[in-house]
Amino acid sequence: MATQPNDYTEFPTEIILKPLALIGLSGLDAVNNAVHKEIWDAFANNRRADRTPVRFKLLNNTFEFPVVKPKRNSYEWYIPKGILKKNWIHKRVSLIPAVIVIFYDMDWNDTQWNEKIIECASKVQSIRAAVEGHATRVAVVVIQSRQSPPPSEYMLGAERAQALCAACEIQSKSLFVLPHGDHLMGYIVRLENAFYDIAQNYYHHEAKNIKQHRDHLNKTTHQYLFVRHQFKLGYLNELKQDINTAHKHYVHAYNNLLETRTVDTNLHEVRTVAGYINYKLCKILFALNLPRDAISQLKSHIEKYKSRVGSTDLLFEHYAWLARQYSAFGELFDEAIRAGLPAIQSQHPGFYYQHAAQFTVKRRQAMRSLCAEALQYPPAPDPLDGILEYYGQRPWRPGRLSADPHDPQKEQAAILALQYNERIFNHSTIIISFLGSAISQFKSFHSPRMRKQLVVEMANEYFYSADYGKALTLLTHMLWDYRREKWWYLASHVLNRALQCAYLAAKIQDYLQLSIEALSKNIQVPNNDKDRIFRNIMSVIHLNIPAPEPDLPSSSQSKAVELWQSMIEKEPLQVAVDMANISSFLEIKPKFKQMKYRMDELIEVELYVRLTYPAVLEVKKVYLTISSQSETIEIPVTDDINQTITLEGSKVKRFLCQFKPNPKDVGSDLQIKCVSFVLDSERKRKIILNFKTDDKKSESIIHPELLHFIMSPKSDYEFDCIVPLRVASVTSRECKWSIEVTNCSPALQGEWFPTTFTVTNNEEIAVSSTKIALSLLSSPENPNPESVTDLSLKEGEAQLQPLHISVGNVNRSGTHTNTFYLKTNRTATITVQIRISYIIDLPAIKKLECMKDFTCKITVIKPFEVTSAFVSTDFSPISKCFVDDPFIVMPQIKILSPWDLLIIDTELEVVDSFKNTDKTKPISCIRNLEVAEKNIASDAICIQAKYNPKDNPTRVGLYNITWRRKSNLHGLCVMSSTALSGLPIDQCPVSVKVDYPAVIELLTSVPLKCILKGNTNTPIRLSLVVKWTDDYIFSGYKKLSVMVPPKGQVELKYNIRPLFAGNTMPPRITATVIGDNSSQDAVSEMFEKAFPETIFVVPKYNN
Amino acid sequence: MAVCVAVIGKDNSPLYIGGIGNDTSSDNELSRQWLVHTALDALEERLTTANPNNSGTNTTTARTDLRDLYLGLLFSTDTHKIYGYVTNTRIKLVLVTSSTSPSGSNIRDAEVRTALRRLHALYADAICNPFHLPGDQITSPKFDKQVKNIMLNNV
Repeated sequence: MATQPNDYTEFPTEIILKPLALIGLSGLDAVNNAVHKEIWDAFANNRRADRTPVRFKLLNNTFEFPVVKPKRNSYEWYIPKGILKKNWIHKRVSLIPAVIVIFYDMDWNDTQWNEKIIECASKVQSIRAAVEGHATRVAVVVIQSRQSPPPSEYMLGAERAQALCAACEIQSKSLFVLPHGDHLMGYIVRLENAFYDIAQNYYHHEAKNIKQHRDHLNKTTHQYLFVRHQFKLGYLNELKQDINTAHKHYVHAYNNLLETRTVDTNLHEVRTVAGYINYKLCKILFALNLPRDAISQLKSHIEKYKSRVGSTDLLFEHYAWLARQYSAFGELFDEAIRAGLPAIQSQHPGFYYQHAAQFTVKRRQAMRSLCAEALQYPPAPDPLDGILEYYGQRPWRPGRLSADPHDPQKEQAAILALQYNERIFNHSTIIISFLGSAISQFKSFHSPRMRKQLVVEMANEYFYSADYGKALTLLTHMLWDYRREKWWYLASHVLNRALQCAYLAAKIQDYLQLSIEALSKNIQVPNNDKDRIFRNIMSVIHLNIPAPEPDLPSSSQSKAVELWQSMIEKEPLQVAVDMANISSFLEIKPKFKQMKYRMDELIEVELYVRLTYPAVLEVKKVYLTISSQSETIEIPVTDDINQTITLEGSKVKRFLCQFKPNPKDVGSDLQIKCVSFVLDSERKRKIILNFKTDDKKSESIIHPELLHFIMSPKSDYEFDCIVPLRVASVTSRECKWSIEVTNCSPALQGEWFPTTFTVTNNEEIAVSSTKIALSLLSSPENPNPESVTDLSLKEGEAQLQPLHISVGNVNRSGTHTNTFYLKTNRTATITVQIRISYIIDLPAIKKLECMKDFTCKITVIKPFEVTSAFVSTDFSPISKCFVDDPFIVMPQIKILSPWDLLIIDTELEVVDSFKNTDKTKPISCIRNLEVAEKNIASDAICIQAKYNPKDNPTRVGLYNITWRRKSNLHGLCVMSSTALSGLPIDQCPVSVKVDYPAVIELLTSVPLKCILKGNTNTPIRLSLVVKWTDDYIFSGYKKLSVMVPPKGQVELKYNIRPLFAGNTMPPRITATVIGDNSSQDAVSEMFEKAFPETIFVVPKYNN
Repeated sequence: MAVCVAVIGKDNSPLYIGGIGNDTSSDNELSRQWLVHTALDALEERLTTANPNNSGTNTTTARTDLRDLYLGLLFSTDTHKIYGYVTNTRIKLVLVTSSTSPSGSNIRDAEVRTALRRLHALYADAICNPFHLPGDQITSPKFDKQVKNIMLNNV
């Protein structure tokens, strides 16, 4: 209970301390004997929670045990004088040990064994004699220095131990051996447990003895004894650490106490004891992890005793008692939480501390009404002098049970003494301490607002105890929170109290700030006396002492006046008040007239000020603090050139400030940081009201659109509807230049596309340092234009972007023309930015840099599209080719360009696996061809496959077209390359060539020669069959088999003679490979291809 | 039934606090305001425990939408019982009953729930006024009268 302040209600320490079994240690000379000291330290020190719950006491030879009271055989004539004896617990916990342990140094093989055994026995005897009458147990510990006796001495040890037991008249289980050496702590712990067992046994017996008393008691005269015995049983069980049983007995004790008749004379005793028993009960319930039971126990306890007020003259005692019940419970609860009990927001120790504080407040109220006349302590003899045998009894009538006061005069004096003591008691400290405990609890259990309320109560308490400085500090902190949540009623309450404190402590800064806030329309002041507060502010500015606040404690008033006298002319002379955080009598709305200002414009800020307090306020100086990227400036606000501004109550005034922008701030924001009002007098003091703008704080929760719903008087410029605008940006001056762009758009992919632009200076005067920068702008459909697009001022030569052109001075209406070239491989719209910057000397601003961006969009399209076709030498389409079998590639160029083009040359660059069939490169057949839009130019190149590569080639080769615009006679030619798609290559062991005329005359014999050529290194045998048709007759082998030698050739000759005119089908030869027929398909295809489908036969003219 | 009814905005500022009975003195007004203000602690605690992760997944937000607006008994002191109700827009309604008066002490939960629902409806009506600014105190005399009616009705 060290944390809580003392008063007479405090619980005695013996009630609070956890009962521990008492064990007396005798025969240890801890002062002179090092071994004994070590043993004692091992027992007594470091008693942590995990060790046995016992307490050791070192008994010296002169220790005296309390005298045993003679045993009572009958309670018949015994009338108890009180409930609980004050010294009973003390005896149990520190005077009567449960066990006395006698330590004795002796080895089993000691040479002086016989003498030692006698000495030890006599020691035991003397202890026995000293505790005569108590049931204290005796045990003997033999301290042996030898580590372990040799095996031969086991028997000796056993014998001698037996002899020692006999000599000391103790049981063998009460004899212990403590070898002194290593592992002392281990031995000590085991000894401790053994002693604890004996002690438990002792307390069990003691409890049994007390239980036996009950039979002798009767309810009429021994009411108190029922309580006392049950309490004792409870306590003994606690010593025994049997808290369940202890709880049972304490409950009995509590209930028995409830049954006792209470009158004014014994009430104090009864409730004191009830408080103790309740404390014990709650503590045990928490220990048993039954917090709910503990709480309900306390509740019922309070309920039962709340109405037992006792003597009305001592009403404050009742409240003090109640407060103590709560605070003690709060401590128990807190302890339990620290030991791991979970608590919740609605049930935690804070509530109990709060109750304790509340009852202490009631106690003070009772004191005020009762003790007003107790101005002096009664004369000697002191009625409160005297030693009491029982808890809770009155010193002036100890041990009396009779209901009426035996000596009215003495009683009167005693009451006066108590009242006097109460009157001089400092209630505030105890309330503050309870509140402090409660506040910390509420804080940790997520109740910030409850905490705030308690802090305000605490501040009130400081106020009552005239500690105005502390009260003011607490209140100003709390005021902030109430203000923020807009609980104006509570804020008013706190503010008025704070204002009182500030006045009494003569804190000028706080006093002025609070006074200014008190004038706000949100704040209510007592008696609605805002005029007084306004006058007070003015007084302080004029270095006069302000009038006192109402309802001040008279005792502090004169002191406050003195303080003010000494403070009024001293620092702080300049008081700055941060108005953004407080609610006040001035409302401001600053507003930039525009969101954006150009460099050559005058920046205008409108400032609307409303004085909500109905008075005339003279403001010496008003200024805006505006910050930009480069500087922070103060702009004075004037009212028709007057520095002094007069504001009228409930009216809105509008001021306009104008200033020039700083050229350094181009492209950045201007922000109104602060609006300051200076209240000043001729004297030294001034108040600066700063309306700061916090970047983070939102202007208003209300949506600006909703402001238009407010009915705001027109005469007030519709103040409520004004949306403040605190940020404006400064942009560069408008540039008066123009541009004209000429080009032949669209541009064609791959060409250097020229664009000519002309810029004209439309400014009134000449400009200098003109520069033009060209760059490419990226757009969604054309990201990273720099990577595929070249920009240059010179045709055919890419330059680093952006392109800079330095123009220098340009006269009024002067122009500058330039051409840039653009080449791109991407078909998209290219945006070129032309940025013109220059310096101009305006009459208002010198050396102003102006800048303007123009953009020029150029569409790029493909000049043509190339597709390719493959045909055989007879121009029939093919889908594959054979090695060494020539075929024709036909690229077709479809012209897309709207401009006429000139194809200068074309060329096919074949890949490795192909070669031109002709030895010399053929001249392109579409050379120097002029084409227009939608024309298609077809080219033809004969090539053949060189070999059969592993993978089919993806393309035949690159088809390069060199071209230029037809109109552009001298410009560079553009070479566009297109990849032509690939053609599968196959291999055939023989190649077949058939020679036949294209046209035959009817009924004329013509030769048909067929040459078979071997392509492999092995001879190939073929079986040939001529497929005969009706259109012809022919001569030659119809069916034969040939052997084509490697790299050699076989010639087959036929004569054919057509029978019909027109398109006729000639006979053809089909071949079957004899032997390895893996190449059969290729050979069949080869023969199929080699023979003509049709031959045209012309009729014969008969001459 | 009730001795005090309060409407508290989503920023925890009081929009309306009405009390009935013979306690019109400033001390009572003060204690009433303290009571309602401290009830916010319990209200906020309920709200944070009701939806532990506000920024959670859609399922949790859906669950909180379905949550009962009536929060029940927030806490009780020796003299008063305080009930809470939170609308979907976080407007908090608080109803205080007196445990000392017979009608207040044995009030049933369902009655309080109904009263608070009616209060919610009244509040919705009151702020439908286009000239009422959301976030401002409710000054409508009609609202005041109707709320007082709710408080008295069940006595």
